[in-house]
Amino acid sequence: MDNTMHIANSWPIWAFASLIIGVVVFQGIKFLQLARKAGAGIGLSNQEMNKAIKTGAITAIGPSFGIVIVAISLISLLGNPLTMMRIGVIGSAPIESLGASLASESAGAELTGVTFTPEVFTLIVWTLCIGGSGWMLFTLFFNKSLGTVQEKISATPNGKKYLSVIALIAMIAIFGSLTSAEMIKGLVPALTAVAAILSSLLMNLIAEKKKIIWLKEWALGLSIIIALTVTYFII
Amino acid sequence: MNNSNTMAEFHTSAHLWGRVTLGLGILISYALPLYLSYAMGYHPGFDLILQSFLAYAAVIAFVWVLEPLMYFAILGVSGTYIAFFTGNISNMCLPSAAASQDALKVEPGTEQGEIVGTLGISAASLVNKIILVPIILLGLWLLTVIPPSIQEVFPYVLPAIFGAVLAQFSLKRPVYGLLALIVGALVNISPIPLVFKNLVVILIVVFLGFQLEKRKKSE
Repeated sequence: MDNTMHIANSWPIWAFASLIIGVVVFQGIKFLQLARKAGAGIGLSNQEMNKAIKTGAITAIGPSFGIVIVAISLISLLGNPLTMMRIGVIGSAPIESLGASLASESAGAELTGVTFTPEVFTLIVWTLCIGGSGWMLFTLFFNKSLGTVQEKISATPNGKKYLSVIALIAMIAIFGSLTSAEMIKGLVPALTAVAAILSSLLMNLIAEKKKIIWLKEWALGLSIIIALTVTYFII
Repeated sequence: MNNSNTMAEFHTSAHLWGRVTLGLGILISYALPLYLSYAMGYHPGFDLILQSFLAYAAVIAFVWVLEPLMYFAILGVSGTYIAFFTGNISNMCLPSAAASQDALKVEPGTEQGEIVGTLGISAASLVNKIILVPIILLGLWLLTVIPPSIQEVFPYVLPAIFGAVLAQFSLKRPVYGLLALIVGALVNISPIPLVFKNLVVILIVVFLGFQLEKRKKSE
């Protein structure tokens, strides 16, 4: 067990983890450049694009802390660098811990204790890394075909309008589904969701009516914090 | 015409760089276990690897295909490349794209919507890594510093994020927000397998919404 955790935190794993995070960061920067260039071509001003970047960045702060805090629980299981690698690319704390426990079950081992050998750790790495590559492989090979289908639909009369209506309704549908799935788990998550819905509605309405730009940018982040503050006082 | 040229050029570069970065990500993902197995000599045997992978794939493999399809209409070509590399699609990428589009008053699924959404998601991906890396480095120590009473709130981060995004979007069409919540609750308490639940809700709500939109137009 001690030996295993020593290996789990050894420099080669740090090296691979840093490398993949490096590629994600490179991708983010590259797509910012590409989108800026295209945005200028379709008539978005620099000011508007900066606002889009700022809003996206601010909105990511709250969820990122949520993600990271949950991820910390994986560190005791997987070590720091593998946790960074698995949480830094597609995957999530629940899926990774599921993968880790399925892998150790296959080997008839426990994730803590003497049966957690370096071989079991390697088996976990195999499972999580191949597993996580599923999304990436599908996107790598089929995203282009999806794009072609989308272009064909937008070329038809009314196609663009329909796509945009579908995208908006799909967005509402997904979040309706995700929210209700959380709400039926119990009273506390239900109240948290209600608090989030109400504060988000209120802030967005005020921001629109009074034309307060910064409030629009912070609305999501602040709603999450307000909802969690409400939760803090009811649990 | 000019716009569609710009977009075509954008999509060409997005496919190129999306594929290059995802390809590198996949290679690194396979290189690490190979290194542990052969360079460090801790190979668990391919029988075990296959067995463990199949157990994992039995639960997760649906999602590999389902999620990129489900979110494509909203994320578009470029957003899909970023979201399915950086991860956290529903709890970070979609909210960020949504907030950016909302702040600029552009609609998802349009050309401007796609560019603005890409700017939002790219920025979100970078912010996420800026927050992730130092916290992982500090790691377990942090848990000893954050008071337990505050840590008790963490499991409720998801309903807070989802509810806030739902409200932001429903502002434009409150009826659909309510509809999505009701259909969502009904589907989620029904015995449909978990991986299909979101898809079923999307199909039902989009179908109903689409009929409503048509009716609105024909009146």
